[in-house]
Parts: sequence; C-alpha cells; structure tokens
Amino acid sequence: MELSGYLPVLLFLGLAALIAAALLAIGTLIGPKRPGADKHAPYECGFVAFEDARMKFDVRYYLMAILFIVFDLEIAFIFPWAVVFRDIGLIGLIEMGMFLLLLVLGFVYVWKKGALEWE
Amino acid sequence: MVDNTVAIAISMADVRAMLPELFLLAAAFTILMADLFIAQAQRSVTHWLAIASLLLTGALVWRASGDDSLARSAFGGMYIADQVAAVCKLFILGSTLLAYVYARPHLKPRGLFQGEFYTLTLFAVIGMMLLVSAGNLLSAYLGLEMLALCSYALVALNRDSPLSSEAAMKYFVLGALASGLLLYGMSMVYGATGSLDLGGIRAMSSSNLLHPDLLVFGLVFIVVGIAFKFGAAPFHAWVPDVYQGSPTGVTLFVASAPKVAAFGMAYRLLDNGFGTPALWPNWAAMLSVLAVLSLVIGNVVAIAQTNLKRMLAYSTVSHVGFLLLGIIGGGADGFAASLFYATTYSITVVAAFGLIVLLSRAGFEAEEIDDFRGLNQRSPFHAFLMLVVMASFAGVPLFVGFLAKLQVLKAVIRADALWLAIVGGLCAVVGAFYYLRVIKVMYFDKPVADAPVLGATDAGFRLVLSGNVLALIALGIFGGPLLTWCMRAVAAS
Amino acid sequence: MTFEALLFYFFAAVMVAASLAVVTLRNPVHCALSLVLTFFTCACLWLLLRAEFLAIALVLVYVGAVMVLFLFVVMMLDIKTLPGREGFTSYLPAGLVVATVMLAELIGLMGARKLMQGGPVRDAATEQGLSNTEWLGRALFSDYILPFEIAAVILTVAIVAAVALTLRRRPNVRTQDPAQQAATRKQDRLRLVDLPHHDGSKQA
Repeated sequence: MELSGYLPVLLFLGLAALIAAALLAIGTLIGPKRPGADKHAPYECGFVAFEDARMKFDVRYYLMAILFIVFDLEIAFIFPWAVVFRDIGLIGLIEMGMFLLLLVLGFVYVWKKGALEWE
Repeated sequence: MVDNTVAIAISMADVRAMLPELFLLAAAFTILMADLFIAQAQRSVTHWLAIASLLLTGALVWRASGDDSLARSAFGGMYIADQVAAVCKLFILGSTLLAYVYARPHLKPRGLFQGEFYTLTLFAVIGMMLLVSAGNLLSAYLGLEMLALCSYALVALNRDSPLSSEAAMKYFVLGALASGLLLYGMSMVYGATGSLDLGGIRAMSSSNLLHPDLLVFGLVFIVVGIAFKFGAAPFHAWVPDVYQGSPTGVTLFVASAPKVAAFGMAYRLLDNGFGTPALWPNWAAMLSVLAVLSLVIGNVVAIAQTNLKRMLAYSTVSHVGFLLLGIIGGGADGFAASLFYATTYSITVVAAFGLIVLLSRAGFEAEEIDDFRGLNQRSPFHAFLMLVVMASFAGVPLFVGFLAKLQVLKAVIRADALWLAIVGGLCAVVGAFYYLRVIKVMYFDKPVADAPVLGATDAGFRLVLSGNVLALIALGIFGGPLLTWCMRAVAAS
Repeated sequence: MTFEALLFYFFAAVMVAASLAVVTLRNPVHCALSLVLTFFTCACLWLLLRAEFLAIALVLVYVGAVMVLFLFVVMMLDIKTLPGREGFTSYLPAGLVVATVMLAELIGLMGARKLMQGGPVRDAATEQGLSNTEWLGRALFSDYILPFEIAAVILTVAIVAAVALTLRRRPNVRTQDPAQQAATRKQDRLRLVDLPHHDGSKQA
C-alpha cells in the first residue's frame, strides 16, 4: 500500500490528539482550583494511609500476561490468513485448523491445571 | 474476477517423510493431555508413556531410514531426512531414553517428578529432531528455539532452589543473546544470497554475489551461534552453572542429547549450507580458534574443580573442542569422526550423571568428588562402572572414548592441520589427569566416616546403567560397525 | 530530500532518543513507557518500508502485550527508583570505544558504499501486485507451512513452561464455588426446630 493511503489514519490521530489536548486544557482553564493538604492526601476509607500505594504485584499477574502474549501472537497469525483465506482454499483452512488445535490443547492444559483460577 | 488461488503443494509424501516427528508430536500432546488426569501417585504412567513414545519414534526413524521409497526432502526443502539425520535422531532418542530411566529415582524424592519434566523433554526432543533435519535456516532456527525454550524451563524446574534459578537465568539471558546473533547472521546471509534454503545458499555462494563480504559476515555470526549452543569456549560461560545448578535429573538430559543435536546443526549449516571450498577456510579458521580455546580452557579449569558436576561441565567444554576438531577437518571423514564422537559422548555422559544419581538419595546429592571417596570398598561394582566412564572420557585405549578421539585426530591430520592434532593430543593428556583423580579417590582413598550408602534405586535402573556402561567397553573394542555406519551416513548424505 | 526521507530521519531520531531514555531513566516505569515509544516509532519505520503487517504486529504484540508483561514484572519486583548508576561513568569511556570500533568495523567490512549499489531492494509483494499482508499470507500458508505449524508448537511449549515455572498451588485457600452456591437448596441450609414453650408444653 502506498503511504498516501495512511492519510485518514494520520488525520484521525491528529484529531484524537487535538480533542484530548482540548479536553485537558478546558479542564485546567475553567475548573475551580482550591488545593489543600487534605485534598491531596490519598483516600483510604477515612483513616491515614497505611502503606505505599505501589505495592508488590503477585506473580500470578505474570502468568496471566504470558498467557495473554501467547494467545495474542496466535491472533497475529490469524490476520494474514484472514486476508488470503479465499485464495488458499480448503488446505489453508486445514492448516489453520491444525495451528488452532495445537493452541487449543495448550488452552485445555492451562485450564485443567487451574492457571486461570484466581483462588 | 481474477483467479488468485494459491497452489499449495503439500502431498502425503511430505507427511510420510516426516512421520517420526509427527508421531512424537502427537505422542507429546497426548501425554500433555493424559498427564492432566493422572494423580501424582500414578505419575509412573506418564514415565512409561514417554518411554514408549521414544521407543516407537526410534522404530519409525529406523524404518524410514531404510525405506528408499520415502522422499529424502519434504515441505519444499524445509525438512531433510538423510542418513546423518537418522543417526543423530536415533542417538538423541536413545540418550533421552537413558536420561528418563536415570532421572526418575532422582526426581521422585525431590518433588520434581512431574508431568512437565516429560512433556518439556519430549518437546525438546522434537525440536532437536527438527534441528538435525533442517534444510532451511528458518526450520533450523525454530527447532533450535524449541529445544532452547524447553531447556531453560527444565533447568529452572526446581523453583525453590536459588542455584537452579540462577543457572536458568544465566542460561536464558546468554541463550537469548546467542539466538539474536544467530538470527542477525541468518538475515545477513539472506541479504547476500536471497535464499533461506541451505541448498540454495550453497548454490548461490559459488555464484557471483553482489555482496560476498556480507555472506562471510553472516557466517561469523552463525558460527558464534553454533559455538554458544555447543558450549564451546569462549562462549561456555553458561555450561558450568547450568550443569551444577539444574537438578541432576535434568542435567542428564541437557548434557547428552543436545550435543548430538548441536553436531547435527553444525553439519546442516556448515556442510549443507556453507560447505563450498571457497567458504570452508572461513569457518574452519574460526572453528580452530574455538576448538583450541575449548580444549585448553575446558581441560585446565576442570582440574581445579571439586564438584563433580562442575568438573564434568568443563570436561564437556573440552570434548566439544574435540568435536569441533573433526568438523574443521571437513569432508566426509571429518564429519563422520565428529558424528561418531558426538554419539558416543552422549551415551558416556548420560552414564556419568546416572552414576551420580545412583549414589545420591533424598536430601543428599553425590555431587562432590569427595562423595566418591573409597567407593570401591563400599560397592566395587559401581566403582568399576565409574572407572569405565572416567577411562572412556579420558580416552584410555579399549574404551570408546579412545576410538572417538583417534578418529578425530586422524581426520585433522588428513586435513593437513597437524598443529591442531598436537594441541588436541596434549590436551587429552592433561584431561586424563582429572579423570584419573576420580578413579584414585574411589580406589585409594579411605571412605569418610559418614559415607552414604548407595541410593535407593530399583533393579531395572541398575541393569540399564550397567548395560550402558558395558556398551562403552563393547563399543571401544568392537566400535567398527558404528563407525562404518557414521561414515556411510555422512558419505550418503 | 523527499518527504519520506525526512520522515525516516524524524522517526529514527525519536527512536534513538527513546531507546536512550530506556537505559538512562531512573524510574523503571518510565523506562518501560520509553520502550513503548521505541516500539511504536519502530513500527512507524516499518510502515515506511511498506512492511505493514509487521508494523501492526509490533504494535499489537509488543506494545499491547509484551509491555504489559514488562510492567507487571517491574511492579512484581517492586523497584521504586533504581539506585544511582555506580560505575556508569567509569564504564562509559570503555563502552563508547568498543561501540565505536564495532561500528567502524561493521561499516568497513560490509562496505556501506557498496551496499548502495545494485539499486533498490526487490519487493516480492509489489512485483506481484499484492499488498504486504496478502503476500505474507500466501507465502506463510504455502511455502512456509512447516515453520508456521512449528510456531504453534513453540507457543504451546511457552504455555507449558510458563505454567510449570510460575503456577503454585496455595494450600488452605478458602474459595467460593459459585456452582455450589447456586445449587444450594433450602433443605440443606435451613432446619426448623420446634422450641418448647416456657411452661413446658409443645406448640400446637
């Protein structure tokens, strides 16, 4: 595709940036500002905060993120297939079917292992 | 409307040529699924299923190698099923089988006897089989990554051991770097020749290239990648930590079969891809440096080790030096000598770690050389087995290690690299020192007061281990057929 | 200079600056965000090279998924700000020398001037009048089908490895079982008992 085809994307990005900037600017410009120490304190059900808000993340998030990456990559492989699947016919369907089958088995493994349970 | 249909040329012949890998793949997925429904008490079912699938795959490889009606290359040259691949695959499967037998008594009392050990090793075996059968840079890379990914996870399998995690971390970071270098090299080769197919690269490299320097530059990076995966000095930094840090049951596997696969990879890339007379001096010079460094560093540093696993790691580096010597020789002789070296080394090293497993028990790892003190008084037969393994490593005549070293040195001399042969011979003498020290400790030192009794292993384990070790003597005396097989395989491929 | 070349230099400059920020910023979260910018700019460069699919995949996979993982790891390790860079200035000269020598060697060996010869690189996609993604799809499902299927196996191996290394069964965790909760009947939980009156007689 020639680069000129990306003009709508560029316009879209520009417009999005403009609107975002405008919303922020309007808020800062016309909103009332009366700051105070209590207003800036973190709200924790009325009492003084016990600890830092940036606490250690559980390793389980990591597992979720890895699984997300794997299935995200799977989707990335489906895109070129979807573009050409009319041209590659039945064999292409079978090929993609095998690809998905292997990953579905991986998914079954994850599920049965209980990696998707949060306890 | 224009007809845009793409002709996809996949036939049953492709599938039939790849049958051993496809079977093992199906078996690995079946075990992955079956293991989910097996209670921990019945985990041995997974063990036997894995062993059965290795045996059946071996039978399929054996049958396919003799069946001339099968295609020798499949999937448009991505996959090559020649005799070298068959020899490599049989030894990969065989040493993995031995590793399974030896690993079980070690993993069980340590809570590592999990289905993941089996599924990950099986996937690693598939990766190795693809690697030794790769006819294309892409399939070689993917096979290598499949092996590497499984190895990283296996090394870290003992999650509660800091040593294990550290080893896996180092292995992973350095491995990722090496993969990056390898890919970079491959991209340069593709840029220079316009082909990812190894046969295509070989054909293109003898033609008039626009950027011949780029090809050589890519070759440098590819050699670095191979050297890392072999664990050749100066890319050996991960080897001692991985051997020592991973559970012995895993070291068994990581130390044996991948060496054969590394040879297969070197053969595919350096012979099938860059084997032209014009390119040979380029990689042979680089490999000479790697080989000499590996021989010297491996043998000298091994002397200073007190931990047996670490000593064996440095000894591996030195053996890789020998393996590379054969490859430098090039041609059918050199590659055949290296193939013989790699295959016999894989079954020797698996026996060495098997003996460590034999002496270890729950809460005690027989990793220190001192743990073998006076073994002869406690169990003469096991001391004898260790003697055979060490003697074979050292290259004492009558043992298979001697025959392997002899073949390699012959090939190097034939390639007019006498100085390399001299370095190799000298280093073998230095190396004999630390192997003999283990023998001395077993036979002439007094056992320490709290000398451990032999670990609880079943009769089958001891039978297989004895057979494995006796094979080292048998091959040392009657190694001719295996050697001829290796030579024929290389000549026919 | 064409507009495209101008764009290239702009993206390249942003990318170099962003990747420098990745290794020099103190706050790891800022480093991760700089890496997002690096990936994004890299995707823009690939778009300039007409590698549309790769560019989108980079944004989808790296910016979308891998960076989430990076942030999780940063948060898991609980690093607030990195300590001062001990040794940074002492290693800098040596590092710069090595980098410069390597760059010089690379350029010298490959011959930057020589690479310019031979005209522009052939683009298989445009030669066949296909879009980049279409060409990729066709190649992937015909010539490169074996690597494609191996990729599926590698992804599955990644799942198995991740589960084997990070999944821990926690004993003594009390969890709710929604199915069991929903299946509860009144008879299981509620029991009606006849209580005697204060005078000892049973209720009528």
